Amino acid sequence: MAMALEGVRILDASGPIGHYAGRLLADLGADVIKVEPPNGDPARRWAPFLPEVEAPESALQFLLLNASKRGVTVDLTQPRGRELYLKLVKTADVVIDSLSPAEAARLQLTTNDLVAVKADLIHTSVTGWGLTGPRANWAYSDIVGCAMSGVMHLAGQSDGPPEQLPDMQGYHGASINAAAGTMGALVYHQATGQGQRVEVSMQEALSIAQETAMMQADILGTNRERGVPMRGLNMPGSGLHDAADGHVFLVASGLAGSGFVGLLGFMQETNDQQDLDQDPYDTFIHESMNTNFIMAMAADPEQAAPLMERLGHMDEVVRAFCRKHPKRYLYEEGQRRRILVGVVNTPQDILDSAQLKERDWFVDLDDPGRGVTLRYPGPQWQLQGTPATLRRPAPLLGEHNDELFAEVGVDVGELAELVSAGVVSS
Amino acid sequence: MTTNGANGDDWTPGVLDGVKVLDLTWFGAGPICTRTLAGMGADLVRVETAKRPDGLRVAPPRPVGAEGLNLSGYYNNFNSDKKSITIDLTTERGHELGIELVKWADIMMTNFTPRAIRQIGMSWETIQEANPGIIAVYQTMQGMTGLHSEFGGFGAVLSTVCGVNYLAGSEVNPPAGVGTNYPDYVVNPIHGVTAILAALFHQRRTGEGQMIDMSQLESSVAATAGPLFAFANGGGEHLRMGNHVPYAAPHSAYQVRDRGDRLDLWLAIGCVEDEQWRRLAAVCGHEEWADDVRFASVTDRKANEDALDALISAWAVEQDGDAALEALQAAGVPAGLVLNATEVLADEQLVAREYFRYLDHSEAGRRAYDGAGFKMSLTPCEPQRAAPLLGEHTFEIASEILGLSSDEIGGLMAEQVLF
Repeated sequence: MAMALEGVRILDASGPIGHYAGRLLADLGADVIKVEPPNGDPARRWAPFLPEVEAPESALQFLLLNASKRGVTVDLTQPRGRELYLKLVKTADVVIDSLSPAEAARLQLTTNDLVAVKADLIHTSVTGWGLTGPRANWAYSDIVGCAMSGVMHLAGQSDGPPEQLPDMQGYHGASINAAAGTMGALVYHQATGQGQRVEVSMQEALSIAQETAMMQADILGTNRERGVPMRGLNMPGSGLHDAADGHVFLVASGLAGSGFVGLLGFMQETNDQQDLDQDPYDTFIHESMNTNFIMAMAADPEQAAPLMERLGHMDEVVRAFCRKHPKRYLYEEGQRRRILVGVVNTPQDILDSAQLKERDWFVDLDDPGRGVTLRYPGPQWQLQGTPATLRRPAPLLGEHNDELFAEVGVDVGELAELVSAGVVSS
Repeated sequence: MTTNGANGDDWTPGVLDGVKVLDLTWFGAGPICTRTLAGMGADLVRVETAKRPDGLRVAPPRPVGAEGLNLSGYYNNFNSDKKSITIDLTTERGHELGIELVKWADIMMTNFTPRAIRQIGMSWETIQEANPGIIAVYQTMQGMTGLHSEFGGFGAVLSTVCGVNYLAGSEVNPPAGVGTNYPDYVVNPIHGVTAILAALFHQRRTGEGQMIDMSQLESSVAATAGPLFAFANGGGEHLRMGNHVPYAAPHSAYQVRDRGDRLDLWLAIGCVEDEQWRRLAAVCGHEEWADDVRFASVTDRKANEDALDALISAWAVEQDGDAALEALQAAGVPAGLVLNATEVLADEQLVAREYFRYLDHSEAGRRAYDGAGFKMSLTPCEPQRAAPLLGEHTFEIASEILGLSSDEIGGLMAEQVLF
C-alpha cells in the first residue's frame, strides 16, 4: 500500500531530543537517514541495554527511537565531514538537527549555510530553548524542560519533591511538535515549492501541558500546586482507588457516562452498596450527584461543607467496594456499565492487553544485524489509506555509509581515506 | 480564515489557507489538535450544542464570581481561531445540516466515542459517501474496533490505562499520575496534527482522502514506550523512578533556599555526560567529588545515587536558586528551576520569544493563550483570534456555508435545531 511520505528524504542529524520526530516521519514513509558522529549518537550509550548484544548496538532507547531509519556516520567538526554532510543535504527535502545557535555558527551549519546548498530545504531545529532569546545557548536535558515549562511544578505529592514526566516527555513533546511542524512545512512546500525553517523549543512545546495552571495564573493570579486536586474538592467515586490487586481511577461523580448512579448499580450487583440504596443517600445520589451540583460545589467549597459527612461516607463505601475486587473486573465491567473507570496498568498489563492484541498492535521485527527479534509498540495512528509501518530495525553504527556515500559520488578509495582520517566510522 | 492580523496589513501566508475543517471534538485532545490547524490558517468550524456544552466551557478557571459558558480559560485557550456554530446533530434536520458541513469540509475530526458517533450519524461510511475525498479523523479512546472500543474516558482515565501513572512518581507513593490529564495536551493532539497533515500531503498528490483511526491509548503508549520496550525485550524494569533515569546521574530536583515569599523552590539538574558532572562538582566548590571512585562513571553514579543526591542536596539547600542556576548554566550544566505558572508567564526566554499570545475576547477580556508548539519562518502559526462564544458564528455559518436564508435560520432556531 502507498505510504504518505513516499519519496520524501529527511536527514536526521538531531541528538536524543529529536529522535522521536524522525521516527514518526520514517514510519509514515519518509526515507529518514540518521546522521551520527563516528563514535555514535550519545543515546547509544544510554541504559537500559539488550542482554547479550554488544555496545554500541544494545541501547534500547536508541533502538526504539531510531527504528525505520537508515544510518550514516560523519564527523561534522572536520571540514571534510562537513563537506560530505552538505552533499547529503543537497539530496534531502528536510534536515532535522538540534544544534544550538552557537554550535551551528561554529560548525557553519546554520539555516543559511544549509539553504546555500539546497535552496528549498526545510530545516527543522529541535532544541531546549529555541534558536533566539537570551537562553538560546543554555544547556538542557529532558528534566530541565519539564522544570522550566511549568509541568513539573504540578506533578508529585504535596509533601514530596516536584516530579518529572516519565520516559523523556520533554524530548518527546519537542519531537512530536517537530514532526507536526515539519509536516506543515512539507504541505506548504508541496503547494509552493518553498522551504522554510521550523523551530521547536522544548520549554515551549510542553507549556500547554500545564493544563489550567497558566490560565489560572493569568485570570486569577494564583498558582496551582502539586498534590492538590484541580477542582479543590475530593468527590466520592472520584480519583485513585485501591483495588484488591492494584489501583483503579474513577471519574464517577457525574461528569460523563453513567456517573454515580451507574456506580451504585454496579455495587449493588455484588451487594457492596451498604446503605447507599437507602435515603438520604439514594435520593441524594439520583437527584444531586450530577455535573451542575459538582460544579457548584467546586466553585464554592463552603457550600459543600454541610454535606461533607454524607460525601465522606459515600467515599468510604466506594473505597471498600474497590478494595474487594480485582482491578480488571472494576475496569472492564465498570466500563461496560458506562462508568468512567481507568485501570493503573503495568507494562506487563499493557503487553497482555486484550484490546491491543485484538487490534494486532504490537509488532515483532527481526533484527538480523543484532541477532535478535524485538517486540515494538505499534503505530500512533492507523491511517487506513497510507498505514504507518515499522520499516526496519535501527541502523547499526555506520550501516549505510557505503550505499549513501556512493550515491553522492564518494568512491571506494575516497571512503577508505575518510575512514582512516576519522571522518566516518569504519 | 486567513492569518490576518487585527488591522489586516501584516498578512502572512498560512500552510492551511483555504483548507476547511469540520471540528466535532470536545475537551482537550481534539480541540488542541484542531486549534493547531486553525493557527496554520485553516478555516475551522466547530459544532457545539447548548444542550450539552463542552465540559471545559463550564470548568475553571473563570474570573471570581463570573458565570456563563464563555469565560473558562480552560476552554478558551484550546479554541483560538475557531468559529462556533450550535447545531443539534441528533435531530433529523440538524443531521442534514451536519452532512452539508461534511460536504463543505476537507477534513473532519471527532473525539467522541463510537457510540456517540453513531448517534450523530457521522460514521466513516456516511461521511465518505457524502464527500469521497475527505480526510476523517476518529480520535477515540481505544480505537474504532476491538473489545474495548466503546470504553469512555479522557486524559485522567487514559493516563492510568496507557501506563503513565504506573511509570510516573516514586515507588513509595501510590501511582497518582503527574497531576494533570497529561496525554490530552501534547501527545494526542499533536500526534493528531502530524497524521492529518500526512494524510493531506497524500490527498494532494493523489486526490485520495482516508479515514484515520486514532486510538488515544495506542498513541499514548507509543509516546511513553521506552520503559515498556525495555521490559518487553529483556532490558529489565525501569519504573517508578521518581526524578531518576536509567541513563544518567545526577538527575533529580534539589530544593534550594526560599526566595522571600516563594517557598518550595527546586532546581532540576540532569547531567547526561561525565563532563557535565565534573563541571557541576566544580560549581558546587567540590572538585574532589568528581575524583571520588563512587562517582567516576555513570554506572558508578547510578550505583551510589543516594550518596550522590545527598551531597548535591546539602549544597543546593544553601543556595539562592537564581544564582545557582546562572552559575550552573555558565558552566554548561543542564539545569533549570521548577517554575510555577506565574513564573512561566513572566519567564524572560518565553517573553523574548513572544511564546504566549495575548488575545482580546469580548466577554473574557484580554487573556494569555499558549502559542504554537513550533514556529515556522514563512508561515507563522501562532494563535491570532480568541476563542469563539458559544454559537457566535451560527448565523454567519448557516448563511454563508449552509446557504440558508434569514427566515430559514429563524425557523431552525425556533425548532431548536440551531440555537
